[in-house]
Amino acid sequence: MALEDYRDDCTDCSRCSYCKWIPLDHIKSARFARACPSIEYCGFQAYSLGGRLSVALSLLEGRIGYNDELKNIVWECQMDGACDVSDKICRYNIRGLEAMREMRFKLVEDGEALPQHKAYIDNLHEEQNMVMGPRANRGDWADGLDIKNLAEEKAGVVFHAGCRYSYDEELQKTARTAVTLLRDAGVDIGIMGEKESCCGGRAYQWGYRKELNACARRNARAWIRAGVKTVVTPCAECYYAFKRLYRETGFTLEVVHVTEYIDRLIKKGKIKLTRNVPLTVTYHDPCHLGRLGEPYVPWQGNKKKIYGQIPVWKPSRPRYTGAWGVYDAPRSVLSSIPGLTLAEMERIREYAWCCGAGGGVLEAYPDFAAWTAAERLAEASTTGAEAIVSACPWCERSFIDTVKVQDGKIKVYDVIDLVQMAL
Amino acid sequence: MALSTDAYRALEDIVGPKYISQDPAVMDSYAYQWLAETVRPDQSKFMPRPEAALLPGSTREVQAIVKICNKYKVKFKAYSSGWYFYGAPFSEGVIQLDMRRLDRVLEIDEKNMFAVVEPYVNGGVLQAETMKRGLNCTVSGAGASSSTLVGATCYHGSGGTSIYTGELRENLLGAEWVMPNGQILRTGSLGSGCGWFCAEGPGPSMRGIVRGALGARGGLGVYTKCAVKLSAWPGPAEYPIEGTVPAYRSPMPPNFRAYTVAFKDWDSLFESYYRLYDNEICYYAHRQWTMLGANLGPAFWMLYQDPTKSLDDIEEFTRKREVKQLTKEMRYSYQLVLVGMSQRDIEYKEKVLEQILKETGGWKVKKWLETEMEQFSLLYLLRLGKKNLNFVYTGGWVGNYMQSGTPDFVKKYEPLAEETTGKFQATGLLVDCGADSMMGCVGSIAGGGQCGLEQFGFYDVADKKSTAAAIKWMKYCIKEEAKHNIPPGKEGMYLAVGKTHEELQRDLARQPAIHTWQRKIKQAFDPNNLGDRLYPTLDER
Repeated sequence: MALEDYRDDCTDCSRCSYCKWIPLDHIKSARFARACPSIEYCGFQAYSLGGRLSVALSLLEGRIGYNDELKNIVWECQMDGACDVSDKICRYNIRGLEAMREMRFKLVEDGEALPQHKAYIDNLHEEQNMVMGPRANRGDWADGLDIKNLAEEKAGVVFHAGCRYSYDEELQKTARTAVTLLRDAGVDIGIMGEKESCCGGRAYQWGYRKELNACARRNARAWIRAGVKTVVTPCAECYYAFKRLYRETGFTLEVVHVTEYIDRLIKKGKIKLTRNVPLTVTYHDPCHLGRLGEPYVPWQGNKKKIYGQIPVWKPSRPRYTGAWGVYDAPRSVLSSIPGLTLAEMERIREYAWCCGAGGGVLEAYPDFAAWTAAERLAEASTTGAEAIVSACPWCERSFIDTVKVQDGKIKVYDVIDLVQMAL
Repeated sequence: MALSTDAYRALEDIVGPKYISQDPAVMDSYAYQWLAETVRPDQSKFMPRPEAALLPGSTREVQAIVKICNKYKVKFKAYSSGWYFYGAPFSEGVIQLDMRRLDRVLEIDEKNMFAVVEPYVNGGVLQAETMKRGLNCTVSGAGASSSTLVGATCYHGSGGTSIYTGELRENLLGAEWVMPNGQILRTGSLGSGCGWFCAEGPGPSMRGIVRGALGARGGLGVYTKCAVKLSAWPGPAEYPIEGTVPAYRSPMPPNFRAYTVAFKDWDSLFESYYRLYDNEICYYAHRQWTMLGANLGPAFWMLYQDPTKSLDDIEEFTRKREVKQLTKEMRYSYQLVLVGMSQRDIEYKEKVLEQILKETGGWKVKKWLETEMEQFSLLYLLRLGKKNLNFVYTGGWVGNYMQSGTPDFVKKYEPLAEETTGKFQATGLLVDCGADSMMGCVGSIAGGGQCGLEQFGFYDVADKKSTAAAIKWMKYCIKEEAKHNIPPGKEGMYLAVGKTHEELQRDLARQPAIHTWQRKIKQAFDPNNLGDRLYPTLDER
């Protein structure tokens, strides 16, 4: 695809501003009615989905050229997809999020990448991770665990920790708990250890298309060699990469988020949660597990017009509206924990507010990332919850850092941490 | 005229560097507008690019900006949600004020039933806040994403509940207006320091003056706050939502009813309007589902309920027997929501409706009585959070006719609307969804008595031939209306945006004297002519 392929999506924008709000039916208060961190933080129309479509059209028509402001417009956005969900309430034939991503691809391929991202992408090329860690230390998080190393052995399930869990020492205990929990429940599971590679999803979201393909090839080859049938990950971004993006390259292994896997095991009685956890928590839906975590549906088709002027696709193009993301499994796990109370925020499921960490914002615009997280924490605090729980290490890192700066009281957990408390 | 460095610096000093931009990409995001393609050279989607865009954060800043504009003779244009090409600059040399930082619901006075809002508060937000207090506001027909203040001060702001909650222009109370000369005028009771409760005083009553004939739409100063009247809401404090995206639903409270009622012909339908006015039973009364065409709309509404389906599947739906039956059954139909202030009240209203239907030969459409359809209707109609489905076919439409008046008056232009539309749909250049794609209020003002129908013509914005056909259709409708002694509807307003000054003057000269009066008003309030032609004036001869 090229940006030109999205020209009709750009001209189709009716400039209605739905993209700036959560689905209007769901608005419960003025305070938490907004959906898009980018326009809320940056202000100008160009920093919304509608604005970006008009900027893309302007680029296509040669009305504007490249400059620093354009790069900010293109990259000062988490690509969290909330705009796309709201837009598709009425305009589900517009591929807004895809068009925004295509703009990133175009700028990168035209040699106009964002300078702040360069070191991370270089590190991906050299060390195969997105967190500036050395490749040699990738497997250290699992030191001392009695778990199969699939670089040398075989197993039906691979546990892919992802870059954040692999290198973030404060969070690593969650990954250790998860893989141990699955192993103890009788799952034939292993890890790739030092040979685990970045999923490539973050790079792709930043505008580096080829990097995703390289990562996908590398990971798929290694997993197939190890006899893997199912990929389990505790990271929402990795989940999205495997579940949606890899599929486009022909990848066919089953992909399961760890909360889905644990939910299955709880329902089968293989994990028993017996200890009381007297906490009130609120659950933050990670964008890449929720609205962006819908299964990929293979499709190829052509545009035609019916009833004179209605452009449609034949065969029918799959809809990605956020309806089929992973929302229930993490909540189901939480509801299985004795004594735990779940207090929902106003913006949940397909219209959840972002944690701030996605799309390269954390790396390039840290103040914006922190502001976005602070907004979410403010929303969490209105529920009366003692803790905010998520299912993605990027969200958790974002919240932990912001709570520290704020000197806040709210605790930050992963669903797995709470499961461990209840064992 | 390019903005001088001195003027830019003066503006930057007011809002700070973060809230002003002249970057070309940022400017094009303001220039881009729906409908631009119907009036701009080469069907461009871009209106003239603003010289700068500013995000003022207070009335004081707005006033300071306007004063600088007067000093440097710079034209300015404010918008809130920014939907419609009316919000964009109409010429070069204009600065754009994006009001999105003025976004507070400042007050909800429960006892006196009004709310005070800033420009970026939309209908969805205000309704959510008022519902918590047992009150409701008018969500304008443009939908929940549209600004309440704009509907009240700059346009008409009628919507589906207008028959009960009033049109927004009716509901305007006190307002704060930064006049084009940079002075602030507080209108109605606010002007005497008596609070927001009344538009007419004690204090300057300015409703007619500031709005003019059609609403100044950003052409005459900037409104920074206003109060709007609220109405009773005997429903939940927030909508409980069921279902998944996109066809969210809300369970029906016991004192609510949502119906699609249908009739055997137009005469019976319009007769029922009169009876609804006489009996005052409606909370919501609007012809909504037909906006997607009487022939194709029912298929769309059915497929929309299934989250696995999309517009790509609409042909399949039209072939379903159930859809064919529904299309026939609701050919002459509209939507109603009845709300009882008590259980006895809803029972009474229900009985009255039954009697009206009996007397006019109408019926409740069965499909829309199914629980999920009823729940979908309720939420859709009262929140109007999915109103922009009128863009779903092609990304573009124009709404012709739309003359408000008595049902007898509207009945007069209905056949013409169908005839002219059918003719253009038959060319294949507009969506052939049925010549009746008419939508409009059953009662566009409080209590009813006045209604309207807006005939949608859907054109593909990505297709130059289709866009050209929409323009031709608008012009054709105006000619046909003239032949039948019907004034031009919204199509006249759309096309006016693209007219030359001379063409506009020729049109205005044929109209009532109001545009002469508007010239005098404009001369008084906008001596440097910094607004635009959306406050139209007839030149002095």
